[in-house]
Amino acid sequence: MENNKLKSFSTLHPFVLIVYFVTILVVSMFGTNPVLLFLSLVGGMMFFGMMNSKKAFFNDLAFYIPMFFLIAIINPLFSHNGVTPLFFMNGNPVTLEAILYGGNIALMLMAVVYWCKCYSEIMTTDKFLYLFGKVIPKLSLVLSMALRFIPLFREKHREFRMVQGASGLYDQKGFVNKIICELKVFSALVTWSLENSVDTASSMKARGYGLKGRTHFSMYKFRKRDGIFLAVNLLLFSVVAFGMGIGFVDFSFYPLVTEIKTGAVQIVVYISLGVMSLLPFITELWEVIVWKYSMSKI
Amino acid sequence: MSRRIIKLTIFCLVIPIVVVLGVVIFNDRAYSWVYMCVAVLSCISLFISFEKRKSNTTLLVVLAVMIALSVAGRFIFSFLPHFKPVTAMVVITGIYLGYECGFVCGAFTAVISNFIFGQGPWTPFQMFSWGVIGLIAGLISKYIVDNKLLLLIYGGFSGILYSLLMDVWTTFWYDGAFNALRFFANVATALPVTVSYVVSNIIFLLVLIKPFGEKLKRIKTKYGI
Repeated sequence: MENNKLKSFSTLHPFVLIVYFVTILVVSMFGTNPVLLFLSLVGGMMFFGMMNSKKAFFNDLAFYIPMFFLIAIINPLFSHNGVTPLFFMNGNPVTLEAILYGGNIALMLMAVVYWCKCYSEIMTTDKFLYLFGKVIPKLSLVLSMALRFIPLFREKHREFRMVQGASGLYDQKGFVNKIICELKVFSALVTWSLENSVDTASSMKARGYGLKGRTHFSMYKFRKRDGIFLAVNLLLFSVVAFGMGIGFVDFSFYPLVTEIKTGAVQIVVYISLGVMSLLPFITELWEVIVWKYSMSKI
Repeated sequence: MSRRIIKLTIFCLVIPIVVVLGVVIFNDRAYSWVYMCVAVLSCISLFISFEKRKSNTTLLVVLAVMIALSVAGRFIFSFLPHFKPVTAMVVITGIYLGYECGFVCGAFTAVISNFIFGQGPWTPFQMFSWGVIGLIAGLISKYIVDNKLLLLIYGGFSGILYSLLMDVWTTFWYDGAFNALRFFANVATALPVTVSYVVSNIIFLLVLIKPFGEKLKRIKTKYGI
């Protein structure tokens, strides 16, 4: 599942990666300033575009752009705040502010969805397990075992179905019959898997699971560039969070849409978030430049 | 004892601090922030209490099996939209393996199935909602384990609970505050889905509780969990 197109970014230390995703997602989810949301969306889309083929990217976009307008149009049905009525529907005003607010919400949703898609591609289950394995050893054992059981059970389920089908279980048509057949197969699967799991547990016990002094194998090492990335990320995030906390980049739609502030402080906050959302892109670019430079020296 | 202390400190200290901080920083989205924090932090505190608890290997493996089965159930029944054995499996785990295992089963089913169906901002809320359903099932297991009627009522109730918890999230998410009109619109549009949750929970509990109960009880007595 590891994505090859984004070699440099995805080889960063998992801890650095998760901090990056959490900070960018927090800003995108809870920020209300349209400039911040737009910057985050652009970053997320570029990141996603980098990892996927052009076709996949545009297919995705074709789905999200109508969704964007749908959310913007639907919002006035639920919200009659705002002072600029455009027209009346069933005696309720449809205001400009409500439509703009809907647009802003749609912007936020799209940004979050794109970042989550990127998260799904970068944070593979092995990284996830590595991160939480130390903090929650028992739960991560449960998690990794469950992850291993799923393909095993699917395979067994297929086998049981084939056997049952061959002995005539699926020959009758109809909805109820289909469910009954599935339940029979499911029940067989449960019996088999519970019995099998107890074997696994005794085998683990016999090999000394849970004894003191066991070590874990891991492929991840915290390098200098991980430290630099983390520091830059946290610095930019604290600038943005500070700006949001103090109220420099406050923005409200009701009752009247406020102007987008463009003072020096605001610009700093906007640039910080812009750079932050482009960090994966910059990392990749940096790697390409270093590669070209080293090639030219050969 | 130490489990209880950790739980209490988290609830008494961390939750208010995070919530207040978030309200200051994200003043316009205070409600969605608070709901997100409650969901994430209650998951964390229950996970910690699961970690601190003494438990043997067999229980962990059986729990992993239950999680894997409920995720697999989501696939097996993928031909029927919203008609899934997940909630029934979570309730059964809560009843037979205890409330902590019930919560873990619910929360992990959400995480794992979303590795395949797609992670999103909804993941913490799905974890929380399914986890709470398993938790409550474990806490009231005394009353529902032998009383089929109460069990089925709880199954139906948990379908409604899941739907409502997700609707509350959607409402906060869109408006940043509780917009009653939007909430009821969400509930109304989700009504067919809620009904199929309720029906599927009742049917699956009715069918699964007896065989699962027997199988789990047998394993519990045979291997001493």
